[in-house]
Parts: sequence; structure tokens; C-alpha cells
Amino acid sequence: MSKARTDTIAAVATPPGRSAIGLIRVSGPAAFEILKRIFKTGGKKTFPLPHCAYYGSIIDPESGFIADKVLVTTFVAPHSYTGENLAEISTHGNMVVVSKVLQIALRNGARSADAGEFTRRAFLNGKMDLLEVEAVSQLLSAGSMSQARLALNQLDGLPSQFVSRIRSRLLDHLVQLEASLNFPEDAIEAIDEHILARDLKKILAELQIFAENARNGSMVAAGLKVALLGRPNSGKSSVMNYMLGRDRAIVTEIAGTTRDTLEESLTIGNYAIRLIDTAGLRQPGDRIEAIGIERTRSAVAEAFALIAVFDGSDLPDADDRLVMAELERSGKPYLVLRNKADLAQKLPDAFFDGKEQIVVSALKGSGLDRLVEELRRIIEDRGLGEYEELVLLGAQQAAALDKALTALERACAGAGRMYQDMLAIDLEEAVRELGRVNGETVDVNTLDLVFERFCIGK
Amino acid sequence: MKEVRNYQVIVVGAGHAGCEAALASARLGADTLLLTMNLSTIALMPCNPSIGGPGKGHLVREIGALGGEMAACIDETCVQMKWLNTSKGPAVRSRRAQADKYLYRQRMTRTLFNTPNLTLRQGHVTEILVKEGRVSGVKLETGLEFECERLIVTSGTYLNSRIILGRATWPGGPQNQSPALGLSESLVKCGVSLRRLQTATPPRILKSSVDFSKLGELPGDPDSGGFLWENRLRRYERQISCFLAFTDEESVAAVRRNLSESPLMLENITNVGPKHCPSIDRKIMRFPDQIKHQIFVEPEGWESQELYLQGLTTGMPPAAQQEIVRSVKGLENAIIMRYGYAIEYDALAPGLIRKTMESRALKGLYTAGQINGTSGYEEAAAQGLIAGINAALAIKGQPSYWPSRTNSYMGVLVDDLSIWQKPEPYRITPGHAEFRLTLRDDSAERRLTRDGYLIGMVDEERFSRINAWTTRIEDELARLNDLSLFPSGEMREKLVSSGTGDLKKRVSGCEILQRPGISYNDVKALLADEKDDWLMAPDEIYSLETEIKYRGYFERESEKIAQTKFLESIRLPLAKVDERLASLSPHIAEFLLSDQFDDLNQLVRKNCLSRSDLAILLTVLRQDSEEVVGDPEVLND
Ligand SMILES: Cc1cc2nc3c(=O)[nH]c(=O)nc-3n(C[C@H](O)[C@H](O)[C@H](O)COP(=O)(O)OP(=O)(O)OC[C@H]3O[C@@H](n4cnc5c(N)ncnc54)[C@H](O)[C@@H]3O)c2cc1C
Ligand SMILES: Nc1nc2c(ncn2[C@@H]2O[C@H](COP(=O)(O)OP(=O)(O)O)[C@@H](O)[C@H]2O)c(=O)[nH]1
Repeated sequence: MSKARTDTIAAVATPPGRSAIGLIRVSGPAAFEILKRIFKTGGKKTFPLPHCAYYGSIIDPESGFIADKVLVTTFVAPHSYTGENLAEISTHGNMVVVSKVLQIALRNGARSADAGEFTRRAFLNGKMDLLEVEAVSQLLSAGSMSQARLALNQLDGLPSQFVSRIRSRLLDHLVQLEASLNFPEDAIEAIDEHILARDLKKILAELQIFAENARNGSMVAAGLKVALLGRPNSGKSSVMNYMLGRDRAIVTEIAGTTRDTLEESLTIGNYAIRLIDTAGLRQPGDRIEAIGIERTRSAVAEAFALIAVFDGSDLPDADDRLVMAELERSGKPYLVLRNKADLAQKLPDAFFDGKEQIVVSALKGSGLDRLVEELRRIIEDRGLGEYEELVLLGAQQAAALDKALTALERACAGAGRMYQDMLAIDLEEAVRELGRVNGETVDVNTLDLVFERFCIGK
Repeated sequence: MKEVRNYQVIVVGAGHAGCEAALASARLGADTLLLTMNLSTIALMPCNPSIGGPGKGHLVREIGALGGEMAACIDETCVQMKWLNTSKGPAVRSRRAQADKYLYRQRMTRTLFNTPNLTLRQGHVTEILVKEGRVSGVKLETGLEFECERLIVTSGTYLNSRIILGRATWPGGPQNQSPALGLSESLVKCGVSLRRLQTATPPRILKSSVDFSKLGELPGDPDSGGFLWENRLRRYERQISCFLAFTDEESVAAVRRNLSESPLMLENITNVGPKHCPSIDRKIMRFPDQIKHQIFVEPEGWESQELYLQGLTTGMPPAAQQEIVRSVKGLENAIIMRYGYAIEYDALAPGLIRKTMESRALKGLYTAGQINGTSGYEEAAAQGLIAGINAALAIKGQPSYWPSRTNSYMGVLVDDLSIWQKPEPYRITPGHAEFRLTLRDDSAERRLTRDGYLIGMVDEERFSRINAWTTRIEDELARLNDLSLFPSGEMREKLVSSGTGDLKKRVSGCEILQRPGISYNDVKALLADEKDDWLMAPDEIYSLETEIKYRGYFERESEKIAQTKFLESIRLPLAKVDERLASLSPHIAEFLLSDQFDDLNQLVRKNCLSRSDLAILLTVLRQDSEEVVGDPEVLND
């Protein structure tokens, strides 16, 4: 819900607990007024000058109570993070002190900021584009190095520059088309549809790569999903527990996931991994039901890689064969585990049909280091390593990119074959949606550009 | 002195807006007076002798479909008719007519004289009379007064107009008419703010002084049909050609030599003119590298010896005009019969009218045409029609009528005008219409004639004829949709050879038609035995094929149309903004209550609403509304 940006907001900017200093930000038109009310500087400098640091005290004007000795830094609009007048109050790190200072600010004209409101204001004031906003929010919640570096890359604005460039190339074609559609009698050079078609195909190819990077980006940001497949009692939970156990320090439960999806997070190398146990899809003894297969398949479809666990101490059954078939069908990278190596082996090697097996015992922990190594290799082979190319999109941006791609695909299929007016409709949609990916602009004032670029007139 | 007789509606000005307004008002039964400065120049075309083209031609078709006059008039009086843009697609294809200016005036004048409830009088209106905050009548230069309940001002380019020809300037209207003096000041007193706009026209030359062997000939198209539905299949056997000439280095040099005498350089004229008809001076200045500019050499009528030089618009002095004209190949010996000139006039500041053409400033006052900051005959006529309809509906105590952006170029026009904020004059083009696939030339009747009938602009007989025609197309569409067939023999070969593949299962008639290279007539041949009342007329078949072949595009467009319709259905200002809307940004509440916008769609189009404001509004308004509409999220599309 939007609130008018006429009010002034305040919030604690440092995470609760630990840090040695606390940082409170006050942003909005009344920021300096509020500071004047609650802050007394010791020095001679007039308060507030732009971009200055002042040493002094936060004093509750009602009681005269001195809350803390602090450092106040001033940023004058539009040269601040939010684009508004902004004051940063650095206090001592003690939580009691920090919350006291915040309360004083709130009682003297500031409103408590909503989550993300500083960043939202920065966006609304044109200090960041949407991709950068997305980056900040990801950075704040980053759990692994790769996630953090991905977010930082985004803050450099490289992806948004790319989208702008693509958009303006499409816009050039659109303007040319519109000129010829709207003003048929003005000697505007006839459009060479072959050149147009060729160019659109090139642009489409570039945009498809970008979309692929965005898919990879969101995968990395969300954590790479690795699905554990295997019939009941083959040892999936044991494998999972072992992997978590050897990495216990960084096990986190992903908010919003419930136990019945059996999902846990860990990191391997720089990457956040989400291990998903497909257990619970079927009860032991059930007939193989279409519904169970469906659910396994959807877990497989979403996964980045698969780990299939087989019980080495037993003969293969229908479920095992099903799992094997799934591995082939999925087209995803997978690892095959022969578990329960500590017991007598009944599972014939022939069952694996030449596939490389990793022989493990989840009970004893043997062979599992190799599993982690192999997983690391799969991730590296996949070529997710280039952080500079990865892109993070929010849900709405991703949807807009999808729409842009679909429209552009239609335009490509139609160029040279379809009437130009239909082509223009598709291009317009692509341009509009790309504008939305960047949050730059949604309006497409094609006609204005036509007049700018062509000598129209009778 | 007070005239004994009172009128219900008075229209000031008999240009293209005024004629349509007066006719609509009288045809709807309002006792109407048309006052104009000169009864001999009714429906004068002071500039180009043509009507139509993309956007403009769509308007003319719509005027005809809604029961206006321009379409019928140009169909009868044109010297050439042709299609434009046929190769570029159904959305932008449009007719363009070359008018006999003199016949057009005569025919329009005759129609006005023969219309019941309509009185014509010559008179120069200098004052709007106001009583108790609303229009009560007008006063003439002569002191004569007329009373009325509704007043439609269509003063065109005449208000305080000034002619500019190089350094020479004098008060004057188009074509040596007099300027309208006094009315501007009266409008300002009524609370209407004005701005200054300019436009210009090219020289006319003597036909026999042109060497046509050096020009390209542009003939008409005998089979193009006319604008009016009744004339859609009319053949135009006898036509006059237009001709095409080009500027070259010599002409560009001639313009450059004389630039110092251009009103643009002299700065003795306002800079704000129509973007789409820049003078040759401006073109050479803005695009210095372009040497070749087109000049269309157009006849002004069957008998006329004058040729209009479209592309050489200028307000430069006579000697410069002669030099420039004669620099063009084929025009070396041209004799200029009338010099081009620029004209500067008063128009309303943007955003002062509602979509009904009623003024936001004064009750009972309507304005239409060039005074509203548009340019062009077609734009003027369309506004006149809407103003005339609404003035008469108001007299009858009936709700006002405005066309929607989703059903017509007229809707786009009136909507844009009521919130247009750009300084330059407004001209309609397909680029203004976001739903241009739906607003096609061939669908005008399906979009508007029912409205015309319900309002009373289209009589029972005409409506039933048109309705039978539209129903035929729609029934056939439905039939083809339901038809399940399995192509064999010749059709199968055709499908295979057109590269669209063999058919393995039964498909609908529409699905077959959607394949490239397959026409309605192919389907007809395939099923000749099953039915005998197939569509025969080429226009019907064209409409049908278009809608089927581009179905995917139509479906995407119609989703957006539904959203826009809903937003348009929320009329502003709201009576009140209750607690449920308290969380909106304060300036939004102001917009909702103030009389700046006609409907919610306008606020959205002007980017006044954030996503969240829109979401709140829709949630609340939907509670109040009967209509079921889509997801507010998609409304941002
Ligand atoms: C020099 C020139 C160049 C133009 N160039 C172009 C062009 O390139 N392209 C284009 O599309 N359009 C052009 N136009 C515009 C075109 O002529 C107009 O758009 C169109 O005629 C407007 O129609 P209208 O009904 O609004 O006004 P008009 O056709 O101007 O008619 C106005 C009528 O109002 C009457 N009137 C005015 N004031 C009073 C009064 N106080 N009392 C009584 N009667 C009054 C006049 O006598 C006249 O009959 C040009 C016009 C001129 C004059
Ligand atoms: N001996 C032995 N038993 C194992 C091994 N891995 C798992 N198990 C046992 O097999 C049973 C099923 O294991 P579980 O991890 O729950 O299988 P899941 O149903 O695939 O998740 C449990 O009793 C485990 O203790 C192993 O490596 N060796």
C-alpha cells in the first residue's frame, strides 16, 4: 500500500544484536527538522549543512534525558540513498540505546518505516531502477557468497543497461514501422522486411540468453534444488541427514517450507543448495499410482540436479526401475548412489546399465564425501560460475520478461510474413514489457519519436 | 435588440464542425439555429482538397456509421478515391478521397437548407450571454441577440486571426474571410482560457502552367468504394489523377536563400503549429540533410484550374514562394494563382472540455473543431457530431453520449482531447489508438451504428439494413467456428502444398481459414453442397477473413479492451471519497473529486495512479459496481 511520500520515516538500519554501532536512518522532508529537535551538537558548525558529520547528543526534548552520544551524518536531497533529505545517526551498539534513540525520533515527527520503504523511496525518486531494488532486497537476505555477489553485480546496473539497449533497438524498428503505418504518403523508405526479420532474430537470441541468465540467477538466488529420489527405505533421509550433519553449522530451515516437503538448506562451495527429499510421495506398499508419479515428476522438473538412492542390500523392484527411468527422462544431471554398502550386496551391477555408481553407507558415513565432490562438479559443469552474467528478477519482472519474449517470438515468426500492423502490435508489446523489466518506463510514445526522426508533413 | 424567437440550440460557425453539430442537433429534434459569418462559405475547405487517410478516414467511416454527414458528402463530391496502406494490414488500411471543394460546399449547404428544425442565418457573434452561471444566448456584432439553452461554438481558425506572409501581416481569416473579433474576450470572461496556435497553407498554381510530363501520375482506384456504408461497393469510373513532384538541391537552395524572410526566422508568429504539416521552411531547417521531399500536386475540383501543392506549405513572401515553386522539376513555369500564407488564431487551452464536448468552465457551452486545438476537417466534423448529439440529448433530458476508446477513433479523439496536454495541435492517426485492430475501417458499422440508432441518429430502416449485414457476418463467423470438417481431395492438396501440413483430424472451418494461403472461397468450394447462402460480397468476406485470420491478436486485444471499458465505466468526479479510500495518496482523492477527469481510465492513462492506489480503488469500486471484471494486477498492462 502506498503512503504519500510527504511524511518522514525512521528505522534501525543495523541488524539486531551483535554490532558495535547502531545505525538509525531518518528520511523525508522533515528529517532535518526532527534532528534539530532531538539532536544537540557540541561543535561550532551550523546544523545541518549538506554532507557533514556532527558529533553530539540525542536528547529527549520532553524529559531532557540524554539517550546517547552519537555521530549524525547529513545527506541533502537528491544526493542521498533515498533521494530525500536523510540523516544517519550512529549510536553505540547496545540495543537498549538504539531503540531509545529510535523512539525519540518517532515521538518527534517520524513514522516507523515499513519493510523496504527506504529502498522503495530510492526507486520512486529515480535513485535506482527496479533491477537494482531487487538486488538490494536480495543482498539483504543473501545466505551465501554467490547470492551476495550476484546481488552486487546487479547493483552495478549491468543487466539494466543491457535491457535498455535491447529495448531501444526494438524501439527503433517500432518507430520505423509506425512511421510507415501512420503516414503512408510521406516518402518514408519502405521497410526491408528481410533485414527487419534478421535483426529481430538476433535481438531475440540475445534476449533469450538474458532470460536464461535470469533463470539461472533466480535459481542461484533461491538456492539450487537437488532432489533425492529412491524407493522407500533406500536411505534418502539418512543420506540427507548425513549431508546436513557434516555441515550442521550452516543448516537453516527455509522460511515457509513445511516438514512434509522435507526440504533443507546447506551450502556447497559458494552455492546455496536446497536438498529435497521426495519421500512421502508414496507410502510403502502402495501400488504405483499415477498421482505419485506425477508428484515425483514435478519435483524432478523443478530440480537442478538429482540424486538417486538405491538399496544395495536388496534386489531391484518396480520402484527402482521407475526411478531409473525418471533419471533418463529428466535430462538433468544426476548421481547414482549404491547405499548400504556395509550390508551384503544383492543389487546386481547390471541394474545400473553402465552408469557410474557412488558406493556409500549412509549409516557409516562412508563414500559420502565423494557424493559432495561430485555434486560440486555438477554445479561447476553447469557453468553457473560467471556471476557477471547472472541476473536477478523479481516475480513481476520475470513475468514481464516472459511476456516480452513471447511477443518478440511472435514478431520474429511474423516478420516478412505477417502484415506490418500486426508486427507493430507485437513489437510494441515487447518494448512495453521490457520497459517494465527495468521499471524505466512503460509508456511508449512512438508517435513523438516518429516526428523526431522523420520529416513527416504535407 | 432581442430576436423574438428563442432557439434550443445555437451553433456558431458553419465549418466542418459546425455543419455536423447543427445537423445532428436538428435531426435529433432540437430547434436549432446555425449562425455563421458568411453564408456563402459554408463547409469551406481552406487548405487541402482531400479527406481521409489512416485515422482520418477511419473517423469519416465512423461519422457515417453514427449518422453524420461528412461521409455521404465526400462520397458524392470527390474527384478521386483510393485505398492507402492495403499492403500493410487491416488495422491501418484506409480510404482517401480527393474532394471537389466547390461541390462539397454546395452539397453540404443544400443538406443544411433541407433539414427540418434547422435555421441558417448570417451573423458575426461577438458575445456569449450568461444568466445564472449558464449560457443563455449570443449577441451579434449588429447588436442583435438570440436566446438558447445550449450553445456550440465552432469558430475554427477565425478567432482574432491574423494572416502572415513574410513580413506582411494583417488581421484576417482564411481565404480572405474576416477574422472573428470580440468572441475571444467573451470566452475568457466565461472562464475559458485561450492559447495562440498557427497553421499554414501552400500556394495554388495554374493547371495549364505545369509540365506534367516531368511528374509522376497517381491515379485513383475505381473499385475502392465510398466511405458511407451505402456506398461501400460503389464504383468510381471517372476520376482525376494527382501528380507527384520532388524537391531537389535547387529547391533546397531556394528555400535556404529565402529563409530570412520566413515567419519562423522573423519570429512574427507563434511557434506552435501542427507537427504533421510543417512548412517547407521548417522541414529544410529541421532535416538539413534531406534533399528530396515529396510534393503532391492535387486538383481542387472537376472544373477548377487550381492545383494544390501539398508539401510546399509556407508563409514566406510572394517572391520567395515563386522562386521555390519554380525550382521544382515540372513547375519551372508555374503561375501562382493564390499564394500560401500562415494564419495565427485563438484556441482553447488544453483540457477544458469533457468527452461530451461540453466546457468544464461554463454550463451549456460546447466547443468543437479547430477551436479545441485540433487540426483537420475530419477531426472537426467528428467533434461537431458529438457536440451536436449531446446538446440535443441535453435538451431532451436524456443522458449524454460519448464514444469509448474501445469502440472508435471518435472515442480516442474525444478522450485524448479532454486530457491532451501537449502544446501542438492534435491530429488523429492510428498511432493514437491502442485498439486499432478492433477499430478497423471495415468494422465501423458494427461498432457504432447501434449507438446511432439508440440515440436517434440512424433511422429504423437504415439500422435494420445495416444490422442485417453485420448479423450476416457474425452468423457466418459463428457457423465456421462450429463447423467440423475433414478436408479431402483438392483442399487437402492445397493445404499440403501451402506448406501448412496435412490434417490428421477434424477441424473447425475457422481453423482451416486461419492457415496461410487459404481463403473463404476455398472453404466455400470445399463445402459447396452443404449450404447455399454463402457470403458473396467482397467486403463481407474481407471482414470475416480478417477476424478469423488474426484471431490470436483479437483475443489479446479484447482482454485489454474489457479492462479499459471497466475503467471508463467509472465516471468522475466521484460524489464522495469515503473511509474505504482513506489510504489513498491525498492527491488521488483530490483528482477523484475534482472536475479534471471524466473517468478513471483517464487517470490511469495520465499515470496519476500507482499500482497500489489502483488496486485499492478497484477493490473498493468493484464492491460498488455490478460489473465483473478481471484481475486488478493485469490492469497495469
Ligand atoms: C491556412 C490554413 C491552413 C490549414 N492547414 C491545414 C492542414 O494542413 N491540415 C489540416 O488537417 N488542416 C488544416 N487546416 C485546418 C482546417 O481548415 C480546419 O481543421 C478545419 O476547417 C476546421 O474546421 P472547423 O469547423 O473547426 O472550423 P472552420 O472550418 O475554420 O470553420 C469555422 C466557421 O466558424 C465561423 N465563425 C468563426 N467565428 C465566428 C463568429 N464569431 N461568428 C460567426 N461565425 C463564426 C466561420 O465563418 C467558419 O464558418 C488549415 C486551415 C487554414 C485556414
Ligand atoms: N545398514 C544400513 N542401513 C541403512 C543405510 N542407510 C539407511 N539405512 C536404514 O534404512 C532404513 C530406511 O532409511 P531412510 O533413510 O529412512 O530411507 P528413506 O525412506 O529412503 O528416506 C533406516 O532403518 C536406516 O537406518 C546404510 O547405509 N546401511
